[in-house]
Amino acid sequence: MDLSFYTQEVAPAMLRGLWVSIGLILPSAVFGLAIGVLAGTLRVYGRPVWKRAAEIYGLIFRGFPLLIQLYIWYFGLPQLGIYLSPYAAAVLGFSLCGGAYHAEYVRGALRSIKQGQLQAARALGFSRSRAVVSILLPQAIRRALPGCGNELVYLIKYSSLAYMVTCIELTGEAKILASMFFKYLEVFFVVGAIYLGLVSLASWGLSRLEDRAGIPGFEYARR
Amino acid sequence: MVAATPVLRLEDIHKSYAGQPVLRGVSLELHRGDIKVIIGPSGGGKSTLLHCINFLVSFERGRIFLGDNPIDPADKPALYAYRQKVGMIFQDFNLFDHLTAIDNVQIGLVRVRRIPKREARDRALAELARVGLSAHAFKYPAELSGGQKQRVSIARALAMDPEVMLLDEPTSALDPELIGEVHAVIRNLAAGGMTMALVTHEIGFAASLANEILFMENGLILEQGPPAAILHNAALDRTREFCAKIARLHPAGRETP
Repeated sequence: MDLSFYTQEVAPAMLRGLWVSIGLILPSAVFGLAIGVLAGTLRVYGRPVWKRAAEIYGLIFRGFPLLIQLYIWYFGLPQLGIYLSPYAAAVLGFSLCGGAYHAEYVRGALRSIKQGQLQAARALGFSRSRAVVSILLPQAIRRALPGCGNELVYLIKYSSLAYMVTCIELTGEAKILASMFFKYLEVFFVVGAIYLGLVSLASWGLSRLEDRAGIPGFEYARR
Repeated sequence: MVAATPVLRLEDIHKSYAGQPVLRGVSLELHRGDIKVIIGPSGGGKSTLLHCINFLVSFERGRIFLGDNPIDPADKPALYAYRQKVGMIFQDFNLFDHLTAIDNVQIGLVRVRRIPKREARDRALAELARVGLSAHAFKYPAELSGGQKQRVSIARALAMDPEVMLLDEPTSALDPELIGEVHAVIRNLAAGGMTMALVTHEIGFAASLANEILFMENGLILEQGPPAAILHNAALDRTREFCAKIARLHPAGRETP
């Protein structure tokens, strides 16, 4: 069997694609989480108008297919005179879509915290917003961690959609390579395995994070 | 003796939940060093009253004064300052579950009072020592017994230098054998001259501590007076009946010195 195809063609292309994918995933994960914490918090503790806005945000960004969202950012916005690079459109799309899902986990976690926690904070002289930030969110984020981690795993895989707006990442490189050499099976198997590797790495990191964030009373049952 | 201004004064508090009146005109004065114990059946408005005093629930009518100052809950900075002066102890402790005992005590100092962390830490340790929990400072609530949790929550309130403490059935959620340690801490506060309003069913404890007992039912304070008068010589049949019942459930022998 001739391995030169893999060493000469596949490896460099996958390496290029991998860097682009990581460049998409990391900022999208950070922005997505930040947006999700904000939107989820507003859903529960925001003033009515913010609460409503966060609801509508969640509805739209969980309702529109992600691919359509990406098309809107990349192909649609130029009609309004706004031109995004493929990379910027992809990161924007992933962050906003991921944020909508993170918001659901954060909202659920905030709701699961007993009302007494907020009451005790207010009794000490905390304003509502300060109580939410210093008392409720640190607890809610711990509880939301497994759900948010799952969303990050999804992100790794749906980052492959970036190639549909011409941001050539892992999947894009694979598609080009496969059609060039007509070796779809080999190339897609390799690229699939790379995603599997990324997901495994992320899962390992997330479970480490859960362990570190776990404190008595907040540990996750695991066997 | 000239009558001093009360530390805390409630004037005709009315409160209803969904049209159902819970407080129907409650007035109350706490003078410096006063210990008033509120007794009465469940649903009578005792707990709601304490929550109203802290503005943790809103009420339709009535006013609350700290010293000479009426408290306006719409004036947020004033409200937050007021709440620091009125320490609140809850039936189920409400310790911040993600924080150690010492962090529970110091977080108000750091985040609300903006005291430097080191200073807040020293103060928190001192408050924990005051409730006998120095050895448990770095434990999380889940690692503490109910009695220890309640003592941490008392330390947490004390750290804010309250002028008044409101205690809402502080021992109701505790195993009987843990009640004593919380009572001892409350007794210490009393000995230190702390002004307190205490809701409890522990009638023996109440009798030994209070300078006045208030019997509350259906949103009204029906009768009030010195412990002996209320517990053994009440004017109203209803008060006598309640006291007799509760004395059987919470025998005074355990607590009366």
